[in-house]
Amino acid sequence: MNMKLKVNRKNIEVFEGAEVRHALLSYFALKGLDVSLVDGLKVYDLLGHEIDLSAPASQHEAIKFKLPKI
Amino acid sequence: MITFNTSKWRKGLCMALFALSPFHYFAFAQELHILSINDPHAAIEQFPRLGYVADSLRALYPDLLILSAGDNRSGDPINDMFEIPAYPMVALMNQVGFHATAVGNHEFDSNQYGLARLIDLGTFSTLCANMEPDPKFKMHVKPYQLFDCGGVSVGVLGITALGSMGTPESHPARMTDVKFFDPLETIKKYEFLREKCDVVLLLSHLGYKDDVKFSAELPWVDIIVGGHSHTQLDGGEIHNGILITQNSKSLRYATHSTLVLEDNKIVEKKAERIAIAGQPNVNKTVAELVRYFSENPSFKRALAVAETPMVKEELGCMVCDAYMAETGADLSYQNAGGVRIETHEAGDMTVGDVMKMDPFQNDAVEVFCTGKELSEMLISCYDNDKQRFPYVGGMTCEITTNPADGKIKKLVIYDKEGKKLNLKKTYRVVSNSYSVAVSPTSRQDMGKSIGITTPDLIKNYLEHQGRIDYQGRRCLRFVEK
Repeated sequence: MNMKLKVNRKNIEVFEGAEVRHALLSYFALKGLDVSLVDGLKVYDLLGHEIDLSAPASQHEAIKFKLPKI
Repeated sequence: MITFNTSKWRKGLCMALFALSPFHYFAFAQELHILSINDPHAAIEQFPRLGYVADSLRALYPDLLILSAGDNRSGDPINDMFEIPAYPMVALMNQVGFHATAVGNHEFDSNQYGLARLIDLGTFSTLCANMEPDPKFKMHVKPYQLFDCGGVSVGVLGITALGSMGTPESHPARMTDVKFFDPLETIKKYEFLREKCDVVLLLSHLGYKDDVKFSAELPWVDIIVGGHSHTQLDGGEIHNGILITQNSKSLRYATHSTLVLEDNKIVEKKAERIAIAGQPNVNKTVAELVRYFSENPSFKRALAVAETPMVKEELGCMVCDAYMAETGADLSYQNAGGVRIETHEAGDMTVGDVMKMDPFQNDAVEVFCTGKELSEMLISCYDNDKQRFPYVGGMTCEITTNPADGKIKKLVIYDKEGKKLNLKKTYRVVSNSYSVAVSPTSRQDMGKSIGITTPDLIKNYLEHQGRIDYQGRRCLRFVEK
């Protein structure tokens, strides 16, 4: 069963057992962005709590990320 | 006119003075202090700092209760590939003085017998109310434990999350003959703890969302020390009167919770997060243990003998063979960037070599896809892995690229017999989680983690083979047009 969640409001399907990192990698790959940027992202749940990249994706129906400040 | 009954007035005054007196305050006010962590995921390098924080708090509060909400292992090969897998974390938790841990889904990465052994090696309790292992494992898991913390009786109840299969998220084979039960229904059976204890603490590996959701139905619980979702809270949050705590993974932070009781009733609850990463002071005994584990000679243990020197593509082919041999997959692939050593000399291939070759601790993922869907996945993986074509197993690939932009113009896949791969047939393909994530095509099946890491597959493969020879082995052929 595919796992569905939203990354910055975009629907993403990932494999069962995926981590938040994998959802972001898929999002970046679908958008044609550089996937190596994923490791520097700050990621939040819908309530604004920070979550880390290795959090289980199944725990989050929607996540949002911010690119790090340079 | 107001009149006083002198006798009653005197008695009332005495009671009021007694209630306000320091004697009364010290006799009936008590504090419970808890230092908690969650999801350390084998961050053994943080333990010297955590040890110092625990020592400091214990100096102030001798009855400090130290807890982990689970997922203690899985994240660092120094811990996970130790001779007794995951023993370093147990030894470090013993040294820091942990009292109890919940069972996280990753605790099952040790399999039933491995987990039972680790539990026996720990000087702390392992708590999980919604699992029942077969007695043959001799797994000493308890549903709850009572602690006397300086006169405050604390009931700690352990609980773990179940995935869509009704078991924790780990390899199913590692949970055979272990029964699991619905978390909320199980917790409700332990409401009697309210009568037995001053404080009821739920040590939860359910995740923040369920901790908050369940809090509405558990008014008899005082505090939930949570884990699993790696949610970074600013200390703690009160939901439905219950204090809920959790931090992100790998011990960036720990939580210090304080519960104030008067006449055995909780009158105040609060929690603060304490930075562990970056903490300048360390417990030197714990630091020495970490050094010992990091330099352990078991990483020089030979898994197999490489008969000939190996170049990168041969190493990639070997990795793909390992995925197929150890999972029974029809086909496999591995992103080229995921093979982190360029060559390997002839001779012993050790645990340390596997750690260097595949240091990412990715999970193995199986995907059921047609030959056509696989072709699209391989191209997507190429595009998102800096235009490096993945290594493949059970097939060979002929890749035609456009020299102008490096894009793949044509991909032909051949099966083991050298025939063109059937594009309509469905295959069971295994790869690592990174490769699958960067191949987000419109296929039917996005895949499923099989609950074992790829370095473990490689390690098992090498041990099963004993001797390997990949000289001249190629799986990719490039054509430029």
